Amino acid sequence: MKNPFEEFRGQSTRSKGKELPLDRILKAKEETLNQILKGYENLLKNEAKDLVWLMQYSTVIKAYSIAEEAIKGINYAAEDIEEFCYVLDKTDQVPYLITGPAGVYISALCNHAEEEEIVLRLQDVGIKINLLGYRLPEGKRLVIEGNVGDFTGISLEGGELVIEGSAKNYTGAGMKKGRIIVKQNVGFNTGHGMTGGEILVGGRIKGLGKVVGGKIYEKGQLIFPSDDYRPYYF
Amino acid sequence: MKKVWPKVRRNHLFPQIPPPQLVESDEEVALEIKSKQMTINVNFLQALTEKMSPEDALQALLDHGISHYMYCPWDFNTHLMLYSEAKKVLRDKRLAQKAASYFMDVVANTYCVKERETKIPELYRHLPKEGIQRILALLYQVIWGIDLGARGEEESIKRLSRIPYLEKRLWKESIKKFAKTLEEFLQKEMESEQKSSKKAQNPLGEHSIENYTLEEIDKGLREFASSVDDITEFRETVEDLKDELAAMGYTVGGMGRGAGNPIDADLLYYMKLAENYTLPIKKLPMEKSGALHPHSHSPWEVGKPVQDIDPWTSFGKIMPGLTQTWVRREGEVFGEMEKIPDCLIIIDSSGSMTNPRERLSYAVLGAACACNAYLKNSKRVAVYNFSDAFRGNKLILDFCKEKESIYWAICRYFGGGTAIDLNDVMYLLKQSEKPDIFIITDMQITNLEKLIDFFNSIENRVTAVHIGENIYAARFREGLKQKNNVSLFLVKDKEDIPKIVLGKVREYLSSPF
Amino acid sequence: MVLRDGYQERVRRIYRFISENFYLNRPDLEVKGEKYNSALLFGILTALYGGKELIIGEPGLGKTTSAEYISCLIYGIPLGVIWGSEVSGHPEQTEEKIVGRPDLGALNQGKEVVVWSNFVQLPVKIVDEINRLPETKQSMILDGVDRGNWEYLNEMIINDEYALFATANYQDRGTNTIIAPLVDRFDVMVESRHPGPNLAFYIGRRSRFDNPLRHQEFEERYHKLLRSQIPYKEKLQALEELSEAFRDYLKEKVGIESLSKEERFYIRKEMAQMPLDLDANAFLRMVLAELSFCHRYGQKRSVEGCPEGCHYTGYLCYHVKNCASNRLPISVIGYSQALAWFLEDDEVDLEHVRTVLPFTLAHRIQWRDSYISKKEGEGRNDPLQIYLAKEATEEIFHRYTEQRDYLLDALAIASRAFEGEAVEPLDGDHPIYEEIKKEIASLR
Repeated sequence: MKNPFEEFRGQSTRSKGKELPLDRILKAKEETLNQILKGYENLLKNEAKDLVWLMQYSTVIKAYSIAEEAIKGINYAAEDIEEFCYVLDKTDQVPYLITGPAGVYISALCNHAEEEEIVLRLQDVGIKINLLGYRLPEGKRLVIEGNVGDFTGISLEGGELVIEGSAKNYTGAGMKKGRIIVKQNVGFNTGHGMTGGEILVGGRIKGLGKVVGGKIYEKGQLIFPSDDYRPYYF
Repeated sequence: MKKVWPKVRRNHLFPQIPPPQLVESDEEVALEIKSKQMTINVNFLQALTEKMSPEDALQALLDHGISHYMYCPWDFNTHLMLYSEAKKVLRDKRLAQKAASYFMDVVANTYCVKERETKIPELYRHLPKEGIQRILALLYQVIWGIDLGARGEEESIKRLSRIPYLEKRLWKESIKKFAKTLEEFLQKEMESEQKSSKKAQNPLGEHSIENYTLEEIDKGLREFASSVDDITEFRETVEDLKDELAAMGYTVGGMGRGAGNPIDADLLYYMKLAENYTLPIKKLPMEKSGALHPHSHSPWEVGKPVQDIDPWTSFGKIMPGLTQTWVRREGEVFGEMEKIPDCLIIIDSSGSMTNPRERLSYAVLGAACACNAYLKNSKRVAVYNFSDAFRGNKLILDFCKEKESIYWAICRYFGGGTAIDLNDVMYLLKQSEKPDIFIITDMQITNLEKLIDFFNSIENRVTAVHIGENIYAARFREGLKQKNNVSLFLVKDKEDIPKIVLGKVREYLSSPF
Repeated sequence: MVLRDGYQERVRRIYRFISENFYLNRPDLEVKGEKYNSALLFGILTALYGGKELIIGEPGLGKTTSAEYISCLIYGIPLGVIWGSEVSGHPEQTEEKIVGRPDLGALNQGKEVVVWSNFVQLPVKIVDEINRLPETKQSMILDGVDRGNWEYLNEMIINDEYALFATANYQDRGTNTIIAPLVDRFDVMVESRHPGPNLAFYIGRRSRFDNPLRHQEFEERYHKLLRSQIPYKEKLQALEELSEAFRDYLKEKVGIESLSKEERFYIRKEMAQMPLDLDANAFLRMVLAELSFCHRYGQKRSVEGCPEGCHYTGYLCYHVKNCASNRLPISVIGYSQALAWFLEDDEVDLEHVRTVLPFTLAHRIQWRDSYISKKEGEGRNDPLQIYLAKEATEEIFHRYTEQRDYLLDALAIASRAFEGEAVEPLDGDHPIYEEIKKEIASLR
């Protein structure tokens, strides 16, 4: 029987186009992203059985240590973290998104990144991620362009966290030292359990939590500690 | 040029564009593309030839120009998409245009470098590297792995180099990242343009609407209308390009010469979208005349009647194989297409209906489809757009063939109560001989009973499309169930409205009146 | 390697001569940087290749004229003889008027002797307004030209070369149409257009009486020979000798060298040997895949509609109703080879195929209403059928440029798989990849 493809015999190695450094960069990016995604899936497997995750002090700590373990050995840069945030928004690449563990995972990535300053451009990400900036250490600066969810910057450990948009509730809860700057508004229970450091809000604060120490500013005005807001003793 | 052009064409699989022209110009631009015609600036080329061979320079320029045509942006729809996405990030028309233009350059150049044997890198080595051109040169050095003589470090290059420029399906996201990263440089460029009152020129030509023919623009707008998420995106983009479109002679009513009316982006949106739902022009029907006449010959066989034998073609012989007999057929005459009626569109624009200028209104789209179908068959269309008609919230457009006026009437939104003034409808019905009626509403009409009585009293073909099931719709159905000339369609998915309207129009146009 | 033996130049001179003197026209086609008039170019290619061309156009715009002059100059037959051999389309045409009739004198003596028509005897055949012929007669002519055999009263003539030019009104009017199985037999369809007011004015000023392609003496000799009862083979030889004499006259009178039968055969052989480059080959396969594929029903069928929500709605298979016939690739390849030969290229490349394809497709495709309605309002220079075919060609070409390397790889791997290698065919979105898999699977 005549081979209907005869003329194409031996054409496999035809010029596919050169391989450019761009191809290598994108390939490496893809591989890194896959590793990061795998780490995230591992975290969910361990921490979010039945896709339920309870926001508790202990679960956050546990999730964070699992996240740290998961990202060990991955060679990533700040841009990879941003890429992961974008991918979280796309359900076809990420089978399920739970913003709590996602935030913890991203925080682990940021805290252990090589760069001292990380800028995450999340304006186009549809979801508001919780728990960003968790335990940001001293010497690290994390800038987030866009809006964030709840529990932003909780347990901050000396780093500087800048939110170019708005944050939701419990911003800076439990922070020990460092600085959180929110250019627009924050929600309720801001600084709840905060013992040190500063929170500077450029817009409106809907409500403070039970703040122990540190300073909180609203539109440049110091509102904690003040006559209206005194330190809380647990 | 004669030597280089055929070679370049072959490399790019023979694009259907005219041979480029050589012109002498003092502009610092090597290449311009207008309506597919490429022009090369001889002076610029000569300046380049001090550093590279003229053939190589010319080949590089042509490679660049052709890959814009063949790869990015390929068509006006893609151009609009890139601009629109860039604008979402940059929020400024001029910045977005620049970002889109540079993005297209990067994509086209990278495509050429990867897929073709090209001298583009060498060209860039010798082009001036100031401002954004320097950033792009640095980017090219990283992603192509070729030294172009650009020096310095930029933090943004790392981000830019991670964008998948050659993944077409990711261009929407890629241009946003590209635009965001380049934003500060674009701002600086714009500021320096404002200071010096001189536009920064892209040596390889700007990308603008002038690159396309009017037909391509028309087609691109139609595709863009289907692809955008909502009308506001379309409106914003078209508003930004209004002046350029008008300068090219593009008007809402179609392409033509002269200024015409200013472009109404919302109208244009529905016009272009409705073009995706059109019916073909009805052919002139042929009907049997009822009279038989001799038509053709067929061989006579023994046993067949002899009265229709044609003695002349049979050579006077009656024998099988030789004798021919007449085959008679009924004559055909042209049908009565002129009796297709006009169309009256009654559209509800009360507060419960979608405002067509804020979000895609399938009601308006359905009405637009009906309008197009009747206009295409050279019939007239009238519009009765109502909200609370008794308070003056109504618009009456008499039967006419002006598409723009009809669309304007359909797109009008009152957003008030819902009451139809049947006197208006009766007035309109008198202006034409038994027009078809299309009524699109959510049936929450305060004088619904009167409407039901009215439809019961007329013999016009009525198609009522209502959105959502409610007691009013049930009442309407009950009230008109005996009438054969009234069809009622409940639409759960608004996307079905155009299909329903078209289905009914198709039926009407093909059935006898 | 194409032999540059001067035939192309002679044919080009014929093209220019007709274009400047008889069929004044405006170029509407560009290929390899040169501009041509499509009706004239494809007419010449049809005459050289021996194809079947359907020429449409408004009345009086040179449909028949172009065919007559091309036939005259390519075949070296006087114009008056061409005129005398044409079949005009009207319902009263009979087989006796088209093919042949009994010799009445001999018939009265009880003998069956066939007097063959000029139409059947001459290699080039022109049918005017073929759509006005009854279907049986259309079919008879197309059958005869397809096979080269003409039969009447148990006698047969075999044409060793033939080309057919048929004219028709626009297919979308309320006149009779040529039915699909018949129209599929035409290789190409072209439009004979208005030349523009300035050229039209010039046509009006020309003398009707002095036509150098007419020659009374030759025409009489031709008619006498054609009427004679000598065996067809001998007649052909004699016709060729007459043709040679007429060609000498033409060369002397107008400086045009027509082509002899031997030369035409040689050209056809050269054309047939023209190879296709890989791009042209792969592109054409892609086209055929889109026009014949149906994911749900196995292949396109005109009686089966395309279901909504099919994955392949972005391809032409969604927009057409019927399946591409096997005559399509024959026409495309044949005419592409003819065009490549004409342009003195070494092989058939993508540009040749893209130029020829719309004209071979236009009359064969039945488009869905939705596709027609979207496109019919667009500005264009061609009649709707040809315009739609050109748009379709460009759409497929765009897809081809996007996945060219991958497709070539897929075809290469298919070749290896076909020869028994344990390789898996490549996956892809386009119908061609499914079709490749079907081919391989049918082997295994």
